[in-house]
Amino acid sequence: MNFIQRNIRPEQIRELSLLLLIVVAILIFGSLIDGYYTSRTFNRVASSVAIITVVAVGQTLVVLTRNIDLSVGSIVGCTAYFVGTLLALYNDMTPILAILIAVALGGAMGVVNGLVVAFGRVPSIIVTLGTLAIYRGILIEFSGAKTVTTDSLPMWVVDLPRLTLFTVGGLEIRAIVALAVVIVIVFQFGLAYLNVGRRFYAIGSNPEAAELIGLPVRRLVFIAFVLSGALAGLAGFMTLARFGTITVENGRGLELQVVAAVVVGGVNIFGGSGTVIGAMLGAVMIGTLEQSLFRLQISQFWLDALLGLLILLAVASDAIILNRLRALWSRTELKLVARSTDGKPPSPRGR
Amino acid sequence: MEPGLAGTDAPREMPGPVLEMRGIAKRFAGTQALDDVSLALFPGEIHALLGENGAGKSTLIKIMTGVYQPDRGEILLAGSPVTVGSAAEAQRHGIAAIYQEPLLFPDLNVAENIFISHQDRGAFAHWRETFRKAEEILGELGVSLDVRSPARGLTLAAQQSVEIAKAISLKVRVLIMDEPTASLSAHEVAKLFKLVMDLRAKGVAILFVSHRLEEVFEIADRITVFRDGRHISTRTRAETTPQRAIADMVGRDMGLLQPRASLPRGELLLSVRGLAREGVFEGVNFDVHRGEVLGFAGLIGAGRTDIGLALFGIEPATAGEIAFAGKTVVIRRPDEAMEIGIAYVSEDRRQLGLSLPMSIAANISLPALRRYLDRLGLIRTREEHETAEFYRKRLSIRTPSVDLPVGKLSGGNQQKVMLSKWLNTHPSLLILDEPTRGIDVGAKVEVHAMIAELAREGIGIILISSDLPEVLAMCDRILVMREGRQMAILDRAEADAETVMTAAMGQSATVDTGARQ
Repeated sequence: MNFIQRNIRPEQIRELSLLLLIVVAILIFGSLIDGYYTSRTFNRVASSVAIITVVAVGQTLVVLTRNIDLSVGSIVGCTAYFVGTLLALYNDMTPILAILIAVALGGAMGVVNGLVVAFGRVPSIIVTLGTLAIYRGILIEFSGAKTVTTDSLPMWVVDLPRLTLFTVGGLEIRAIVALAVVIVIVFQFGLAYLNVGRRFYAIGSNPEAAELIGLPVRRLVFIAFVLSGALAGLAGFMTLARFGTITVENGRGLELQVVAAVVVGGVNIFGGSGTVIGAMLGAVMIGTLEQSLFRLQISQFWLDALLGLLILLAVASDAIILNRLRALWSRTELKLVARSTDGKPPSPRGR
Repeated sequence: MEPGLAGTDAPREMPGPVLEMRGIAKRFAGTQALDDVSLALFPGEIHALLGENGAGKSTLIKIMTGVYQPDRGEILLAGSPVTVGSAAEAQRHGIAAIYQEPLLFPDLNVAENIFISHQDRGAFAHWRETFRKAEEILGELGVSLDVRSPARGLTLAAQQSVEIAKAISLKVRVLIMDEPTASLSAHEVAKLFKLVMDLRAKGVAILFVSHRLEEVFEIADRITVFRDGRHISTRTRAETTPQRAIADMVGRDMGLLQPRASLPRGELLLSVRGLAREGVFEGVNFDVHRGEVLGFAGLIGAGRTDIGLALFGIEPATAGEIAFAGKTVVIRRPDEAMEIGIAYVSEDRRQLGLSLPMSIAANISLPALRRYLDRLGLIRTREEHETAEFYRKRLSIRTPSVDLPVGKLSGGNQQKVMLSKWLNTHPSLLILDEPTRGIDVGAKVEVHAMIAELAREGIGIILISSDLPEVLAMCDRILVMREGRQMAILDRAEADAETVMTAAMGQSATVDTGARQ
């Protein structure tokens, strides 16, 4: 036990057990579904996971600061539709420009969220619930309920989801998946090794203290929402490439999957702790469930119910298991700290 | 003493003050928190700041650290005027504060907690260097902590060491310590004082705020006393004594408060023996008789409110006996307390006491709502109204209608609604927690009259108050608490401002401790 305690933090145990759970889930689905262990399954799951992951990375930033962004599904839908429409109109637009427009559009929607939450001091759950509806409403109004279709898009977009960068042991690693992995690595590094990244943890961990020691709390919250929006914009582009056909309904309900991924991945819903790697593992879990249940011909409604259950379980286990683990860990640490023994009762709290 | 020069009479060999507050004034809605206050801090001195609750100490600290902006006055840093517009700016000036409850980030590790606020750290968190520097600073302090482990779960003393390490890492010139010892054991306090002495030797100016006089007289070089937002005195330790400091703290005139006429003591109502709540208060013994007003005096955090909460079952006692009207009772929940006839009027009107958007009538009927239900479980609003009207007349609540939301009333009238609400439960024991805090003088006089009348009707009253003249004028006996312990029960005849304050600050020379019934 001592060896474990010295080298692993309680939060990491959580990530490891999630990894184990994913393996178990894959084994179970493998025994239930014929032809489960094929590269086709892998590709389906991986491209689904990639999109959830990119949005979940942004959501992680927001949740770390003790906020939530419920508007991501609508941002994904909007950017997928708008960029799809643009590409249908201007078939010769370069890929880089298309991606930049998607990111900028998502970022702009994030700016609105961030301004109202950070500077308007409105609770983020209310603000983003509002923009969830507003962005979707704008999309429906703008689109006239028309659909972006594959045949109107330039060839490179249609071919993108099958673009394979390299092959590992018979599994093709597609560009979209590689992009998600790069984003996870970049943000994991940023949160762990950049000072600004550490400050996201600080303001979620103790907002009052952050304010008193002069951290730019509002600016950081604003940045988190902008990044969440921009990443959702990128995911919107990935969605466009993956499906080709985009209706106004696209991305609806994605916020449930993303919040589930983040929370299942061990990011504390009250802020201050969690990692991007964890959120990615959560996304893998959710994506695996989504695609496998689909193969089992279980309805989408059951999937949503299952996701809801997973969120509740994750938050409950956060509260119970993690606190126990932490207590166990800190008890060991307490022994290291010289303690006084003069038998005086601790003083009352400030009343 | 002339206000402008107050606090500048430093020992001769010292250089000029590192931080000087001149003629600072700050007003909050209705109260003058600070009135033309001056204070100078010299490098290498420990300067104690004393004062009763509400004397303006916290306000001054918040102005120094950029949380509040003063209405008037100037702040000089090493002789030149500066503004302290934000916490970040205070930090750039080398001003840091340590509070009673340390402000750490539980999810960040110890080393990060030390360095997180540094503005000029560059883009990268150089972990290895951060850990090494943190270990170095903690090593200098003689504290052994794992700098890689999260701050969550550290003892308060360890957390305070981290705060001090943080201050050192910021190269502070002025360190403000707001009751840093309040939650520490004697052994931990000794260690903390060693750290403070080391900082002083390094030329840091330390402003030390404490309610513990013996500590102040142990380490302070100079001692300043505030009272009611005014600077009263600044003296070197050699020039003053604990008694003199206490006299400065309490020495206000009694104002308009007329002592309440004493009544013959009624029959025994409440008897408490050895009452304790683990880690909060212990060894509390007292009796309350019908028609008697028992005061609870002491400083904030002494455990007075906690006894009230225990008697009312909000945070039940963990040990001891309570006998009510001759019967031994156990109180675990507020409804059990209400059942036997105890009512508790909270100090926190907004959070615990009243529902501000609800009407006056609805607030008053709330704790006794069962009496107002008809057979279908619906509220009989007419009776609710009649009750509200009754109390409106009896306590002269100034409002055009009892249907108005409570939030629209002034503080004093809100307090009267609170009182009505609990009187309507027909208690035989009424616990009043700071019933006149933040209300105007007129309303205060009315509340006092009400207390006197209730006592005449035979209700036993416990009056928890930080307003010393109020306690002295209203109470038959005064129980003095200090840091969770009962210091004394003083009869009205022997109680004056100084004996009460002396007991509350732990100068036990002149008062005998323990219960005297």
